[in-house]
Amino acid sequence: MADWLEKLKSDFILNFVEDNRWMNITRGLKNTVIITIFAAIIGVILGLTVAAIRTTYDKNRETMKKNGGIGYWVMTFLNNVCKIYLSIFRGTPVVVQLMIMFYIIFASSTHGVMVAIISFGINSGAYVAEIFRGGIMSIDNGQFEAGRSLGFNYLQTMIFVVLPQVFKNILPTLLNEFIALLKETSVAGYVGVTDLTRGGYIIRGVTFSAFMPLVGIAIIYYVMVMLLTHLVSRIERRLKKSER
Amino acid sequence: MNGNALIQVRGLKKHYNDGAVRALDGIDTDIKKGEVVVIIGPSGSGKSTFLRSLNLLELPTEGSIVFDGEDIAAKHVNINKHRQKMGMVFQHFNLFPNMTILRNMTIAPTKLLKIPKEEAEKTARDLLKRVGLEDRADAYPSQLSGGQKQRIAIVRALCMKPEVLLFDEPTSALDPEMVGEVLDVMKTLAKTGMTMVVVTHEMGFAREVGSRVIFMADGVIVEEGTPSEIFDSPKSDRLKGFLAKVL
Ligand SMILES: Nc1ncnc2c1ncn2[C@@H]1O[C@H](COP(=O)(O)OP(=O)(O)OP(=O)(O)O)[C@@H](O)[C@H]1O
Ligand SMILES: [Mg+2]
Repeated sequence: MADWLEKLKSDFILNFVEDNRWMNITRGLKNTVIITIFAAIIGVILGLTVAAIRTTYDKNRETMKKNGGIGYWVMTFLNNVCKIYLSIFRGTPVVVQLMIMFYIIFASSTHGVMVAIISFGINSGAYVAEIFRGGIMSIDNGQFEAGRSLGFNYLQTMIFVVLPQVFKNILPTLLNEFIALLKETSVAGYVGVTDLTRGGYIIRGVTFSAFMPLVGIAIIYYVMVMLLTHLVSRIERRLKKSER
Repeated sequence: MNGNALIQVRGLKKHYNDGAVRALDGIDTDIKKGEVVVIIGPSGSGKSTFLRSLNLLELPTEGSIVFDGEDIAAKHVNINKHRQKMGMVFQHFNLFPNMTILRNMTIAPTKLLKIPKEEAEKTARDLLKRVGLEDRADAYPSQLSGGQKQRIAIVRALCMKPEVLLFDEPTSALDPEMVGEVLDVMKTLAKTGMTMVVVTHEMGFAREVGSRVIFMADGVIVEEGTPSEIFDSPKSDRLKGFLAKVL
């Protein structure tokens, strides 16, 4: 057998098999998946809420101003809160947000994974909000007017007429955001969370061989991303087909 | 007040940019039950703004619109209840592209009037038959021609059993060969006694079907009367000039 193949094999055994070192990888992978999924859920809930506030404000400002009262001021306040949130979380690096969250806001918490979920979730929400808002704004105003002219109120028009079209349009973009999120969680190790990246990093620290663990986790990320990308393009094709 | 006025408009104004643009500058008129009011006028004269003010798609700056005994231009009016009784047909149809024709027609009656699905679908199919599209119930809007879409838009509005139908240039986005089929539906509708307010450039329709023609320019009603008064003996120079161009 060729020398390099021998070397590869012993490298593999050293980094993954000996002392059950592979468990660093599986434990990390598990945390990466958990953080990504729950952060995505938080992101969608938060993003949808923020997008709802922002578009409601934009589309009803005139009516609310005319009717006066507290409603207009509440919406103006909420709208500004949303704008500040979007600006801050899209304007600073996610790893800095993560560290502030871990070392300052939740300094007493020992639940690293939980803090990472919250941190990535809030960050993702800012991007998802803009995806939803763009999706809502891209629906022809005639759709709103048709809904309203039939007698639906603003919320009913959103729920029955506009949002189903928005979801269909933005689904691929949204899924791509989650793929980006999956890769972004690789900085979780900065606050001591053992994610996939840190799992590989730990092995490297013990075996002093960088190639096998780092290329190994790269392959795992790559396979996950490719699977999701494949899923997205299949969904995209399905949606195109149903676009009669 | 006129006893049989369905919509009573008084001093209606709509200004943009703090009064720099006066899209409507004081409109007074009554729309009576069973009337077909046709609104004509040059581009930018405020026809659409007026029509869209009637169901508050445009918020008036000033004035009152009394419908069903309530000034719907006032603050804190539940406009949604009133809109259920004022159907609207748009230039660009605005059908819901993600729903079948049947769903387009039944979603509002089932959700808003709480009519059982079977009953709403039966009403919808009957209406489709009346416009010759009963076989398209399960199609999607993008599978239809422009003329078919507009006929669907009309019957979608009818599914709510409105007291008045508002049309904003319903045939302007259509290929010429499809204009007739839509106008025919509107004519039939007028014969059944439906109250209609129609903004259009179809002077033939105005003359034949209109019970009253309103000529607008610069945000005001310049002249109004029966079709023959407007078309055969126009009084103002504005109207004469306009008719010379369009006829
Ligand atoms: N959102 C707006 N902001 C500023 N000006 C507006 C706005 N909407 C309409 N206008 C102006 O109000 C006037 C009346 O417009 P409107 O659309 O009612 O005219 P129209 O008679 O329907 O014309 P057309 O035959 O071209 O449809 C026009 O001068 C138009 O430029
Ligand atoms: Mg117009």
